[in-house]
Amino acid sequence: MIEIRLHGRGGQGAVTASRIIATAAYEEGKYSQAIPMYGTERRGAPLTAFVRIDDVRVRERELVHNPEISIVLDPLIAKQQAVVDSLKPGGLVLLNTAYPPEEVKIGGDFKVATVDATTIALETLGRPITNTAILGAFAKITGLLKVESLEKAIKKFFPGRLGDMNIAAVKRSYDEVKGPIQAVVKDAPPEKVDIHVGGYGVLKDVSSWRVYTPEIDVEKCIGCKNCWIFCPETAIQWDEEKNKPWIRYDACKGCGVCANECPVNAIEMVRVEV
Amino acid sequence: MSYEVMVGNKAAATAVKLAKVQVASAFPITPQTTITQYLSEMYAAGEWDFDFVNVEGELTSQVVVQAASKVGARTFTCTSGPGLLYMHHPMQVTGSSRLPVVMAVVHRGYKGMQPDHSDLMSQQWTGWGHQYVEHAQEILDSLLMAYKVAEDARVRIPIAVGYDGYVLSYTAEPVEIPDQGGVDKWLPPYKPMPSVLPDEVDPTTFSRGWGGGDPQMPWKIHHEAVLKIEDVLKETMDSFEKTFGRRYGNGMIEPYKMEDAECAIIAMGTIAGTCKAAVDKMQKEGKKVGLIKLRSYIPFPVKDFQEWAKKLDGFAVVDRSICPGKGGPVFGKLRGSLYDLEEKPVTLQFHAGLGGKEVRVHDFEMIGDKILKAAKGGTVEQVTWI
Repeated sequence: MIEIRLHGRGGQGAVTASRIIATAAYEEGKYSQAIPMYGTERRGAPLTAFVRIDDVRVRERELVHNPEISIVLDPLIAKQQAVVDSLKPGGLVLLNTAYPPEEVKIGGDFKVATVDATTIALETLGRPITNTAILGAFAKITGLLKVESLEKAIKKFFPGRLGDMNIAAVKRSYDEVKGPIQAVVKDAPPEKVDIHVGGYGVLKDVSSWRVYTPEIDVEKCIGCKNCWIFCPETAIQWDEEKNKPWIRYDACKGCGVCANECPVNAIEMVRVEV
Repeated sequence: MSYEVMVGNKAAATAVKLAKVQVASAFPITPQTTITQYLSEMYAAGEWDFDFVNVEGELTSQVVVQAASKVGARTFTCTSGPGLLYMHHPMQVTGSSRLPVVMAVVHRGYKGMQPDHSDLMSQQWTGWGHQYVEHAQEILDSLLMAYKVAEDARVRIPIAVGYDGYVLSYTAEPVEIPDQGGVDKWLPPYKPMPSVLPDEVDPTTFSRGWGGGDPQMPWKIHHEAVLKIEDVLKETMDSFEKTFGRRYGNGMIEPYKMEDAECAIIAMGTIAGTCKAAVDKMQKEGKKVGLIKLRSYIPFPVKDFQEWAKKLDGFAVVDRSICPGKGGPVFGKLRGSLYDLEEKPVTLQFHAGLGGKEVRVHDFEMIGDKILKAAKGGTVEQVTWI
């Protein structure tokens, strides 16, 4: 049995990718199972999905805890060491990133391959939905699926022209994937962000959700408390002495409501560096 | 026959389509909602024609299918967790009126949204048949069989088919879809009886006030009708296998690798699948433990368990629901079934998967080790929380 874990953000199609892999595997006469880890996921939030492929009907219903392969659909999540957590020794990680595998900073005993799926998706689909733009790379580096089976599966999910565009994305990623090579960094870097956030709440770190980070210019701030009132996550804290806000960044998911509500544009949303 | 890699909820919707249900009604609640979405997609694509009645809550959806069933339609409804609780009152009437409504219950817990069996278990007194299934193929097959059994003239009892939310409702896996022609032949259109009630009942009344002046009589008739599900379900499983080539034990229970087993683990729903993987592993290591998957909780397979009890040294019962202060429902019912036997196997109670807690292969290995030890006279605590 082969076990695969997919990391992405709500909206990138990680769940659909898992189902396409499962369908393509069944096309090739194998049994499969695609499990989404559903909590209160939504667009933008990191999410995880799993696939099992086996010669017999898959009976296990536990989540995949020690995958052989990890696929990462998002370039920011691809920077997190957590994407290789509990990967089987000698396993394989496929990252959506513009960097070649030699420059990948996450470390450990695994093989790493990279493909710039975001660019491929933007150029073939016109949108940064990276699920099909990583599957061609997956087929090539694992040899688990033929591209033809992926095409058949994709046509079931996306009929007509949309299917053709997604198949074009698959073919490009098949051609453009780099690696796999043995990971250059041998030891896992210490810093870790939890990307397995199922649901969220005041105790959970949601910093990995952010594509944009709010930054406050305290000189411009007039102390009106609008941001403090409107923040849906109570991430904005108030310094009573200075009468100025500060941000609890682990609670901030980067929604930008504060910047939108600020009457003097004292809050700027800064793109997180890829 | 065709196939599709589909999620559990789509398997349910596909069964509804294949059964050519005429009236469906449901109120959305996670994790059941996508069943109705798949139904509307099928309707929009012109795959078959039916009436879907939009309602303002689950209580009404149950009343709608009840009324539609009374006037002779094949009906379907579905819900989850708290939605099922809200249906509690009209479910009693559906049962009492002997209407062959079929319902999919996509399990959702009460303490949090993740699945356990508390929702359907809390409907034990409504007078329905209660079944629990393991995987997407079994959802499709069981719903088709549920119509066959519920509409059988000997039964005429509504049936609820339960399966775990999230872990099965949203998991995609290969499902074989029988041809419409084959299903039409095996499950002909519903022909309602002149009265929805059995012949012995005054045909001018629907449910209450009958029983020849004996207020207890409706309960007796109702109870006996639910018990008849056992024989009809077993027959239906045989004819289903003959027609479609698949079977799930005798319908009431599905034994797995029990040929050389000395002890059995009893489990329901998706975790029974995980248990199968554990049984494979344990038997490779020479441990003589198998699985008896419980499919029908109501009626309870008393005779089947009595037969197995004569061959076995121990039962490990895994309950995925609990009546606080009373314990696991399957455990209690199983022990009640074994009381009349002269030699009773050891029985152990395990509480697992409550609140959606993940149950893993190694958990079942631990359960297997415990029951084998207990069956050999070892000291093991009787109740274990996984």
